[in-house]
Amino acid sequence: MKVSVVTRSGRELVKGGLELNGSATVADLQEAIHKRTKRYYPSRQRLTLPLPPGSKERPTVLNYKKSLNDYADGKELTVVFKDLGTQVKYSTLFFWEYLGPLVLYPIFYYSPIYKFFGYKEERVIHPAQTYALYCWCFHYFKRIMETFFVHRFSHATSPLSNVFRNCAYYWTFGAWIAYYVNHPLYTPVGDLQMKIGFALSLLCQISNFYCHILLRNLRSSEGGGYQIPRGFLFNIVTCANYTTEIYQWLGFNIATQTLAGYVFMVVAAAIMTNWALAKHRRLKKLFDGKDGRPKYPRRWVILPPFL
Amino acid sequence: MAGIFSSVRRIYLTVYNWTVFFGWLQVFYITVTTLQQSGHQSVYAAVEKPLILAQSAALLEILHSLVGIVRSPVTATLPQVASRLYVTWGILYSFPEIRTHFFVASLMISWSITEIIRYSFFGFKEAAGFAPSWLLWLRYSTFLILYPTGITSEVGLIYNALPYLKETGKYSIRMPNALNFSFDYYYSALLVLAFYVPGSPHLYGYMLGQRKKALSKPKSA
Repeated sequence: MKVSVVTRSGRELVKGGLELNGSATVADLQEAIHKRTKRYYPSRQRLTLPLPPGSKERPTVLNYKKSLNDYADGKELTVVFKDLGTQVKYSTLFFWEYLGPLVLYPIFYYSPIYKFFGYKEERVIHPAQTYALYCWCFHYFKRIMETFFVHRFSHATSPLSNVFRNCAYYWTFGAWIAYYVNHPLYTPVGDLQMKIGFALSLLCQISNFYCHILLRNLRSSEGGGYQIPRGFLFNIVTCANYTTEIYQWLGFNIATQTLAGYVFMVVAAAIMTNWALAKHRRLKKLFDGKDGRPKYPRRWVILPPFL
Repeated sequence: MAGIFSSVRRIYLTVYNWTVFFGWLQVFYITVTTLQQSGHQSVYAAVEKPLILAQSAALLEILHSLVGIVRSPVTATLPQVASRLYVTWGILYSFPEIRTHFFVASLMISWSITEIIRYSFFGFKEAAGFAPSWLLWLRYSTFLILYPTGITSEVGLIYNALPYLKETGKYSIRMPNALNFSFDYYYSALLVLAFYVPGSPHLYGYMLGQRKKALSKPKSA
C-alpha cells in the first residue's frame, strides 16, 4: 500500500511517500515514518485522516493498534501528520509534579527559613503543624508510590511542556500552603476540630488508595477500553477517586485552617470536576443500553451530594 | 430574533464607545489646559473624576469579551484593563503622595490620546460599519510611541509609589489571624513590576502584528 504523509500545511513530510505491505498496522506506519524522519518517534506522532477543505469537523485520529486497511478504501492512503513535541512518560511527569511538594513542605517545617522573612525569635511548633507535616508528606509519598506501582495510564506519554506547567502548579501551591501552615505566627484550631480534620483526611486517603486499586483492576481485567467502574464508592460516584481526593484536602484544611489551603482545594476541585464531567459523559454515551450494551447506572459525577 | 439581537448589540456598543470616547476627550482636554495654566502637579486633582469614570468603564470591556459581543478574546483584554485599573485605583487613587509626580501628566496624555483614537475607531465601526482609513492608520500607528511613553509612566508611578506602599502598610494583611493568611501590598507591587518585564514587549509585539494585519489588508483584497 502506498501511504503519503503530509503536514497540516500540506507539505509532504516523507518525500515520495511510503510503501507498506497490505497487512501493515498504524504502528508499522509510525515506525516507518520514524525511520525516515529520524526525529519523530511514534509517541510524538499524531496521525489523522485528511478532512475536506473548509470542514469544521474533528479529524479521525488513527489508532496505532488498527490495520491500515481499516482506514484506506483502496491501495492508497493519505495521512496528516502533527508533531506533538518532545514526549515524556506519564510516570515521569507525575514523579516530578509530586516530588516538589514532598521536598518543599519539610523545608518550611524544619529549616530556619522564616528568619529570612524577618521573624527572628524562636519558633514554637504546635502539634497541629507536626501532624500536618506527616499528613502532607504521607499524601505525596503515597501519590509517588501509586504512580509507579498502581496506576495504569491510558496514554503512555505526555508532552514535555506539561511537566513545566504542572510542576509550576504543584510546587507553587505546595510552597504557598507550607509557608502559612508552618508560619511562626500560625494560629492553630481547637483540639477537637484538628482531630476531626486529620481523621477525615486519613480516612479519605485510605479510601482513595482503595479506589486506585479498583481502577487498576478495571484496566487489567480486559485489554484497554472503557468499562463501568464498580465496587466500593464507585457504586455511588463515577469518579470516586476524585471525590476522596477533594474530601482529603477538606480534612487537611479543617485541621490546619489556612486560606491558601482552601484556595488550592477549590482550584483542584474545579480541575477535577472538568475531568469528571468528561468521563461521566463518555461513559454514559458508551454504555447507552442499546444493542446489548449495558446501560450506565444513575450515579453522582464527583461531589455528592452536589454534583 | 437574531436580527433584533444584532441591532441591539450595535446600538449598545455604539453608545458605549462614544460615551467612553467623550470621557477620554475630557481627560485629554483637562490635562492639556491644566498643564498650560498651573503645571503638572495639579493634573491629577483636575482629571480625577473623568479619569476614574472613563477607566472604570473599561471593566465592561472584559464583560463584552466574556459574553462574546466583541471579538477580542478575554485573555487579551483582561491583562490590559487590569493593569490600567491597578494604576488608576491601586496607585493613583490610593496614594495621594504620588499624584503630583510628572509621570501623571505623561500618563494622562498617553492614555487619553490612545483611547480617544481607539473608542472613536470602534464607535465608527459599530455605528457606520466602517472606520475612515486615516483613523485606522492612527489606531494602529500611534501606539508605536504612546505605548512606550504610557508604560514608562505606569512603571515609573508604581516604582515611585513603592516607599509609600511600604511605609503605610495600606491594603496589607498581617498574621496572626484566624484564616492564617497574610498579604503584602508592597511585595505584590514588586510582582506587578516583574510582570511588566515580559508583558510589555509581548503586548508591543502583539500590536505590531495587529498593525501588519490591519494596514496590509487593502493590498491583498
